[in-house]
Amino acid sequence: MKTRTLRRDQRDGLFAFILDIPALLLTIAFILVPIVDSVIKSFQTYGVRNIISGKPGVWNDFANYLYLTKTDAFSMATFHTFSFVLGVVLVQFVLSITLALILNTNLKGARFLRSVMMTPWVVPTVISALIWMWLFQPQYGLVKYLASVFSFSTVTDFAILNNPNTALTGVGIAALWKQIPLMSLLLLAGLQNVPQDINEAAMIDGAGKVRRFLSVTLPYLSPVIKVSISMSIIENFKQFPLFWTMTGGGPNNATTTLAVLSYREAFVSMNLGTGSAITTLWMLMMVLVVFFYNRLFRIQDMG
Amino acid sequence: MNIKRIATSLLVLTLAFAPVFAAGQAESAQEGPVTIKVANYALLESGYEPFWKSVKSGFEEANPDITIEWVTAPYGEIVNQVVNMAGGGNKVDVIFGEIDWVPGLVDTGLAAPIEDILPEAFINDFYPDVLKSFEVDGTPYGIPLYVSPYVLYYNKDLFKQAGLDPNKPPKTYDEMLGYAEKLSKLKDKNGNKVYAFGQTTASVPVSGASLSAMIFNFGGEVLDANGKLSVDNQGFRQAIEMVQLLDEKGYNPQNAKLKDLRNLFALGQLAMYYDQSWGFNGIKSINPDAVNFTASAEPLVGGQGSGQSLLQAHCFILIDNGDARSAALSKFVEYVISEDVLSGYLRDLTPAYPAKKSMASMESVVNNGILKGASPAAGRVKVQTFIPRISDLNLELCALAQAVSVGNEDVSAAIKKFKETAAVKISQ
Repeated sequence: MKTRTLRRDQRDGLFAFILDIPALLLTIAFILVPIVDSVIKSFQTYGVRNIISGKPGVWNDFANYLYLTKTDAFSMATFHTFSFVLGVVLVQFVLSITLALILNTNLKGARFLRSVMMTPWVVPTVISALIWMWLFQPQYGLVKYLASVFSFSTVTDFAILNNPNTALTGVGIAALWKQIPLMSLLLLAGLQNVPQDINEAAMIDGAGKVRRFLSVTLPYLSPVIKVSISMSIIENFKQFPLFWTMTGGGPNNATTTLAVLSYREAFVSMNLGTGSAITTLWMLMMVLVVFFYNRLFRIQDMG
Repeated sequence: MNIKRIATSLLVLTLAFAPVFAAGQAESAQEGPVTIKVANYALLESGYEPFWKSVKSGFEEANPDITIEWVTAPYGEIVNQVVNMAGGGNKVDVIFGEIDWVPGLVDTGLAAPIEDILPEAFINDFYPDVLKSFEVDGTPYGIPLYVSPYVLYYNKDLFKQAGLDPNKPPKTYDEMLGYAEKLSKLKDKNGNKVYAFGQTTASVPVSGASLSAMIFNFGGEVLDANGKLSVDNQGFRQAIEMVQLLDEKGYNPQNAKLKDLRNLFALGQLAMYYDQSWGFNGIKSINPDAVNFTASAEPLVGGQGSGQSLLQAHCFILIDNGDARSAALSKFVEYVISEDVLSGYLRDLTPAYPAKKSMASMESVVNNGILKGASPAAGRVKVQTFIPRISDLNLELCALAQAVSVGNEDVSAAIKKFKETAAVKISQ
């Protein structure tokens, strides 16, 4: 009997493995192999000529990584990337949880609002970028016009994407518009799973709204918060289309993030080795950020 | 149950390995009719599609054994498209593109010397100075359909409104600043600001090329004859100072691409600006009435310079795919770069100057009202030395222009930083 059960387990395991084969092959072929290939190329002199001729790259004694230390482009791109991620994720979380709390009430028209607010999320990112680029257009954009109207014509040349000090914020606004709907929806789903009886018990014990939110709602919501913020960190860390379409990394390189820099090196300069070096470092940073973020959240859970 | 599992397993394995058997089918060698692949971004741009379709039908009618297959992608992506295809073993035969794409495509090993594909008699009909602009290590790669320096387009109506003579455009930067003071006081019919002078500075390589042309106006240079960075010259500095001055006075739309400038010009919100001559097609596609108020002038003279400019060209960059396809390609290039095919195109779509001596007296060029004012400048172009990383250099020039304009940086400090960064970039 025992042997028969074991055989059935083995058969089940084999069957499960066979079912997993397509996913495993796709993961290996389209995720693992390109990553390993990119890391290898980051140590080589490898350009488009190699692709076309089929000749392998040549080991270059870390020249691609040393190249990145010769100018401040990589350090500035890293700074812009982290500033963007930190700013967008924080603002996104605050606005999304506010929106989710509003939609979780018995507000009239909440269901309609929920449907409408998903619109930005379904718009392709490049289209979002174009929409915001036109809204921010410095000569005839709507935002310039509104700035002029609400400032009683004292601000006549509002051009958020043209100023190196504000361009990153401009792209951030487009990112928020696009991403807030999904995070709000995830948080709303989480809020709807918070047990009402616990909330009611806390209310009977005299807990106020803020106390109930902090001591009941947030702890129940923490798994959803953790996942949605992780997703947001990754999404914004690798954000490329908004930057490339809206600013191309300018003005004065103020919005050149790691994504833009790696694209420029690989596909404008046609230097795939340096592009791979940036991508490798960028990937390591992202892994580290997500790792420490997950550790931080685990410690909070335990607390 | 077991049969179900086996069937499911077989289905899953079939799905998993299907791509292996589906991929990699070799193309059989073709005999007889030849197909040439032409990479052409212009097919996706408004106004150009009918011309290129007529080229295809006309050429195929004249050469029944040759078929043209278009490869298209947007302007900014066509080179990557060609490179990716070549990486997969599928090389196009010719790319219709900008002169600035030549050094990069030579560096990739894709571009072939024109002498390897085109007949000598055909090549000898091109102006030697024009072909010199296509040389890499003394060998020309790429053959121009037509050429143009950066020309100064100006709005005659706005000149009149500002009390200026619409038949006397400025000749020097100092004169231009005087004109600009009056023009910048104008408003369009909707009350919007009118910008006096447009010089593109956005983060795209073509803006860098335009800035190089402006540096040439002042007698400066960016690269020496050996392709080394050479910016310690008065003309370079004066041009960058001019970019800063234009920004300080609010004459130049900040951080604008050429297409932004065309848009503003077409809408009557920009009085003068530098563009490639074929930029007029972009203006006309936004505002057909622009033909009534647009005129061109020679590039301005600045500092100790003589108003030289940078040669720009739309060209064919050829790729060698063996004798049969090269012979067909040669016929295609000779067909397109001819008076019969380009006459209407240069008259109605893309005002520009012919690159062939035998086309010099074409009616559509000689009597082109839009280009008339800028015509003397056609012979005053300066050859920019080709280096493989010319796009990087151009992007760094844009960053420099942005640093002294929207970045409010000191000119000396910005040039110093530009020198350090550009030297590293072009040495890679």
